[in-house]
Amino acid sequence: FTEMPTDNFVESSFWNFDALFQPQQHPARDQHDTFFLLDPAEAPQLPPGYSSKVKKVHSQGGYGSQGYRYEWKVEEARKNLLRTHTTSASARALFRLARQEKFTPVKYFSIDRVFRNESLDATHLAEFHQVEGVVADRGLTLGHLMGTLKQFFTKLGISQLRFKPAYNPYTEPSMEVFSYHEGLKKWVEVGNSGVFRP
Amino acid sequence: DEEFDELCFEFGLELDEITSEKDIISKEKGEEKAKGASDVVLYKIDVPANRYDLLCLEGLVRGLQVFKERINLPRFEKIIPAEGEGQRLIITEQTAQIRPHAVAAVLRNITFTKDRYDSFIDLQEKLHQNICRKRALVAIGTHDLDTITGPFTFTAKAPSEIKFKPLNQSQEYTASQIMDLYRTDSHLRHYLHLIENKPRYPVIYDSNGVVLSMPPIINGDHTKISLNTRNVFIECTGTDITKAKIVLDIIVTMFSEYCEKPFTVEAVEVVYPNGKTHISPELAYRTEKVKPEYINKKVGISETASSLAKLLTRMCLKSHVTGNGSHIEVEIPPTRADIIHACDIVEDAAIAYGYNNIQMVIPKTYTIANQLPLNKLAELLRLDLAAAGFTEALTFALCSQEDIADKLGMDISATNAVRIANPKTAEFQVARTTLLPGLLKTIAANRKMPLPLKLFEISDIVVKDPNTDVGARNYRHLCAIYYNKSPGFEIIHGLLDRVMQVLEVPPNEENGYTIKAAEGTAFFPGRCAEVFAKGQSIGKLGVVHPDVITKFELTMPCSVLEINIEPFV
Repeated sequence: FTEMPTDNFVESSFWNFDALFQPQQHPARDQHDTFFLLDPAEAPQLPPGYSSKVKKVHSQGGYGSQGYRYEWKVEEARKNLLRTHTTSASARALFRLARQEKFTPVKYFSIDRVFRNESLDATHLAEFHQVEGVVADRGLTLGHLMGTLKQFFTKLGISQLRFKPAYNPYTEPSMEVFSYHEGLKKWVEVGNSGVFRP
Repeated sequence: DEEFDELCFEFGLELDEITSEKDIISKEKGEEKAKGASDVVLYKIDVPANRYDLLCLEGLVRGLQVFKERINLPRFEKIIPAEGEGQRLIITEQTAQIRPHAVAAVLRNITFTKDRYDSFIDLQEKLHQNICRKRALVAIGTHDLDTITGPFTFTAKAPSEIKFKPLNQSQEYTASQIMDLYRTDSHLRHYLHLIENKPRYPVIYDSNGVVLSMPPIINGDHTKISLNTRNVFIECTGTDITKAKIVLDIIVTMFSEYCEKPFTVEAVEVVYPNGKTHISPELAYRTEKVKPEYINKKVGISETASSLAKLLTRMCLKSHVTGNGSHIEVEIPPTRADIIHACDIVEDAAIAYGYNNIQMVIPKTYTIANQLPLNKLAELLRLDLAAAGFTEALTFALCSQEDIADKLGMDISATNAVRIANPKTAEFQVARTTLLPGLLKTIAANRKMPLPLKLFEISDIVVKDPNTDVGARNYRHLCAIYYNKSPGFEIIHGLLDRVMQVLEVPPNEENGYTIKAAEGTAFFPGRCAEVFAKGQSIGKLGVVHPDVITKFELTMPCSVLEINIEPFV
């Protein structure tokens, strides 16, 4: 797995949400309880050709999808925030990959800080780190995703795994990964995953 | 209980808690108050954000029963009344400014019981919170049709012109009085702002001028639904027509079960200001054709077309095989607005198959791994700094404005910092532009540890940068601090020399590094130097100014080094 550049805490809503098919007015966007920025409040540049494609997919659909059918506003996408997940860096990495002349399969990873506007308590911080992995290739299946996750967690010493259907705006199918915790004597969630939507 | 937990897990629902009314009251108010409360087991279930059809008991049970193949998914029928007999909702142009869209439907001859009634109200609240985005996008109003006469008019009027008796009140109020009345209501006050400062408020009248509702705030008392209500008129008004249609579809599909003719909904004609008419609700059934190979390939299983069709039917997506097994025709009911692409169908097939039944394989992708050069450098430096006897700290990237400005003797505008618009506390006002405050705070929290305290951190700071596409960027900084009875400038200087040594940067001006005396507001005058390397200033080192030390609640002298390591990548 190759490391992705993630050295930007400040991200635009475009890369953090819109490019990942998270609708502009849906509670899913608030779900992340985001830190929005006062200064710089808006991203000066968005990739022009790509942002019009994103606009189309949200408002009308595309690539086989019905889309969300609402009015996509570019001002909303320009809003700057502190990234709520490293998936925005993955989106950028996949965008760069897409602009390569010839497609090459890749495996990316990153481990970096993310920010969520939550009250601090025993199990929640406003800043924490996420580990993210992406595999892009032809002919990948859900089985491959499960296999990769199994190997990853086994190396961390977690081998009893179960997968549960979940929902992410940008992946379908999505799975939450659960592992049996001997100490707590119950299944706890250890990760989230999915296959990116076409 | 375990069986139900398993079922939820397989289906994709989270069984949050198994409790009872007694338990809940016990936890909140103590055992005494809980005596006499119901012992009936309650399940708290978390439903995914995109499944509006599972938000009420009716929909949830239906979904699970179809999943377990106990029942077939009911077919929802839209009954279009004969000409002149149906209800009409006329939208006037005044609504365009504030709440342009509306849809409506009628549930005929419905029978309510206490449970069904509670569920009905509950679903509306859940939808309001979820897809309606707290009533901003769509607001739902339900009315006893027998208390009013159509055709209904949806218009917008000045607040002083609207007067009616709101739900559960004893007298009539004008719209402005209603705003004041509910200003302190814990539930409704959150919605007042949606229309408060507008010149006209939305309102729905019947043909006799009876007010049905003033969306999104409150319904009229006149039309309130009771357990004896037989015919229900439902209206959904809003700013997003797609969502309004979805919301209406969900409500009628869930509760048409209790109509005399189950699963039938009577349509309403909606007339737009431009004269166009529209039959509502949508209750559209859509078909998508997918190839069985597509599903098999995406999931990593190999099922026959007919078994896939069976799996999908279990997920409320009635399917059958067509074209001699080359295609599966999937019928998407109005309850599944979340299916917008073939991949959604794939996910449902996988869920029905059982995620944990899928064979796990490793991708055959052959790639060569690489570490990001900047991170590799940081990792190497970490080891060397630790070897030099310094302890690593990991501090928050967000801090208060004082931390990076006032406490360091600078003005906030000079720092070029990124500012947060909605911090929950003052501790998260800005993103740090220097690692120093974090380390000073760490020392303050560890004052009782034996001296000397030698800490370092290699991490990102954030500054505004108009050249990037978002307007800000990160820089990887290295910061080391020495805290003891004497400042130890020579120790920090030695550390800089060691860092340069491992980076193989020679100590000369032309192609290496050098330090020159400098001033810094956070530093003791005359004990500060600027570090130059690779043709630029990369940071400072020196003895920390006593003012700074005091502001961070410390008592001993200390010296610090902070440099940007990115030029060395």
